[in-house]
Amino acid sequence: MNDAELVQQIIAGNDNAFRYLVAKHQRLVLHVVGRIVKQQEDVEDICQEVFFKVFRKLGKFRGESRLSTWIATIAYNTSISHIRRYERVSELPEDVDDRLMQGNSDNWQAAKMVEKGEAKKILLEMIEKLPVQYRTVLTLFHLEEFSYKEVEEITGMPEGTIKSYLSRARKLLKEKLEKRIELEKTNIFADYAER
Amino acid sequence: MQKDDKNIRIDNLLDETLKTPPGFLLSENFAEKVADKMRRSFVWRQYVKEFFVYLATITGVVAIFILMAFFWIEADWQKWQTFALNNQSWIIGLNIIGLFVLFADRVLLRFFFFRFSRHEIN
Repeated sequence: MNDAELVQQIIAGNDNAFRYLVAKHQRLVLHVVGRIVKQQEDVEDICQEVFFKVFRKLGKFRGESRLSTWIATIAYNTSISHIRRYERVSELPEDVDDRLMQGNSDNWQAAKMVEKGEAKKILLEMIEKLPVQYRTVLTLFHLEEFSYKEVEEITGMPEGTIKSYLSRARKLLKEKLEKRIELEKTNIFADYAER
Repeated sequence: MQKDDKNIRIDNLLDETLKTPPGFLLSENFAEKVADKMRRSFVWRQYVKEFFVYLATITGVVAIFILMAFFWIEADWQKWQTFALNNQSWIIGLNIIGLFVLFADRVLLRFFFFRFSRHEIN
């Protein structure tokens, strides 16, 4: 069933079609909402709100973009509205470096004996500490594999800004990771050596 | 050389991590729950829409009947007005009851039966 047929079925009141749509896109919505909204206890409610909006606005979907792009746009806007209401949107604070380095000292202690999985865990924690714009573009581009054009459509950011956020986020993560390696004098990339 | 190697390894790790789903979780029956809520919302809106269609139809029929009475039977406007003013509490009360019966019949009872039947199925 393609997107247009699915939309028609849902508008006609077929709840199985809607269940299918939710099951198909819940991972995408969860990733977008989860990366933007810090309070994890709110994530499920916001995901529900996103699908409510999708259902209500489905009649307006013209098929000019992929359905997943359209749903991601709703998820992004809903999450941003939520953090504007309940959290302060971080505008790339100056202490972003410190925040990335601070980490959890317990985790870092453990990193002395890290293996591949732990290195990933540390990096994932670092990603969560990045400013919201960085987290968003990283998630959309790398995790959900949207193109620059689609990320632009979803977030409303110009393509140049997206590219710059992506490269800056990557650079930042890389620098911090290198610093940590130096700091701990450990080789957390042992598993990557043979790649 | 060693630095390049390290760089490549960090890049590999970064690429892999960025493609790793974060550990966020939704409840197991999330799709089921959302679809069920949507279904209820869809049905409710459908019933309310039908209620307004009925209401508009009934109001239209009454309006046409009143107009016909004035134009064809040449009813006395003053008499009707006096009658309405003298019995306004009755007229308002009957209208409210009528509205409630229509709403209960077209929306509340149907929605109740819908939910009951879903509950039975589940």
